[in-house]
Amino acid sequence: MTGKTTGYVSIMLVALILGMMLAVQFRVVNRAPAGISTDRAQEVVDELKQIDRERESLHKEISDLNYKLEQVNQGKNEAILALKSELEKTRMSAGLLTVTGPGLEVVLDNPDKGEGSRLSPGVFIIYAEDLLKVVNELWGGGAEAISINSQRIVATTEIRLAAPFININTKRVVPPYQVLAIGDPDTLANALELPGGLGEYLRDLGIEITVEKHQELTVPAFTGN
Amino acid sequence: MKFKSVYWILLLVGLIMGLILALQFRVTREIIRNAPPQERTAALYQELEESRENREVLQRRVYELRDRLDQSVAGPELANMKVELDRVRQLAGMTTIEGPGVEVTLNDNPNVLPPGQDPNNFVLHDEDVLSVLNELKAAGARAVAINDQRIISTTEVRCIGPTILLNKNQRLSPPFVISALGDPDTLTNSLKMINGVVDSLQLWGIQVDIKKVDKVKIPAYSGTLTYNYAKPK
Repeated sequence: MTGKTTGYVSIMLVALILGMMLAVQFRVVNRAPAGISTDRAQEVVDELKQIDRERESLHKEISDLNYKLEQVNQGKNEAILALKSELEKTRMSAGLLTVTGPGLEVVLDNPDKGEGSRLSPGVFIIYAEDLLKVVNELWGGGAEAISINSQRIVATTEIRLAAPFININTKRVVPPYQVLAIGDPDTLANALELPGGLGEYLRDLGIEITVEKHQELTVPAFTGN
Repeated sequence: MKFKSVYWILLLVGLIMGLILALQFRVTREIIRNAPPQERTAALYQELEESRENREVLQRRVYELRDRLDQSVAGPELANMKVELDRVRQLAGMTTIEGPGVEVTLNDNPNVLPPGQDPNNFVLHDEDVLSVLNELKAAGARAVAINDQRIISTTEVRCIGPTILLNKNQRLSPPFVISALGDPDTLTNSLKMINGVVDSLQLWGIQVDIKKVDKVKIPAYSGTLTYNYAKPK
């Protein structure tokens, strides 16, 4: 009788401990997934780098504006000069000025009706979306000015199929499409030529794409719709 | 005989307990091993937050200086230039503008996926957002913003996980509200064209909601104007 009770009591005790351990285990496991993410850290580092770069250019802008303000207070002629320089800079970001600098030339052409593509020839041509993606990728790579077949890309520029052609700034463009981007040539090229990136994708579709770095490129001004 | 069965049960329970102990030990060790990245991420996030704040301070300073420059400009010759400056600033997206337009809300597919389908097809991608923006521009939108981030010429749209990164450092998460200034009817019609952008997005169950509004406010671009490579010719 007493032996039996001790047995039950000890089993109860063991079960109790077991339950507690189970509970602890659950809690620990639940907490675990929140911690493990190296990708996330990498993203944050990327973002930090971008913000730092931007802070640097904000500092530049501040000293530039301070200088102009000083000029304005010195006299009328200086004031005109200061305002002119501010106007010039704003025109540049509105795309109203022809600009030059180092950059990347990307030429895209429809596939020849021949070999080269794994896919059936003639099926794939360059869509407006492809150009849109190329431009987007180049902005992402830090491009400062872009044009396609002499059409400057500004804030309101559309790249859109108006069958059978593509319209940019409501002007018709025809292949081959010559995309000019001013910026760091290496960074721009890397943005397109990432393994598994846009360049590879377009080539896999059979689209002919050549990428060339230049020390000096000229991107024309926006001429209006 | 009766005692013996109790022993068997005890043995079994002890065995299970041992197993769980071992498992617990392993899990705990793994967590300890993985802890540093978590701490690092947390530290980085904090630094990012500080960096952002600092950036905001600098940004406000730029606005303030620009205002002061504008105000210190007086006299007839300068007034003409000032008018031109205002016009160009508007083109460059550096001013807040208001007017009639549309608000387009995009959201991921809210339904449970049919089994065997690739979930990637049912969430919003950067190219979806790009094509909506492009369509709005083609329909004559004069200014566009997503979640209050102004779209200017150099704006890129990139997917980072479920979020979208644009203007180099602005991270947006769905739902994305795209506001565009322009003729509300033209903008709406061009989005809703048969086989148009909305049709192709709805194919994937992505929610598109278009609202015509009398007054839409498009904020100014909050970035810099510094050029490191391009020079005027």
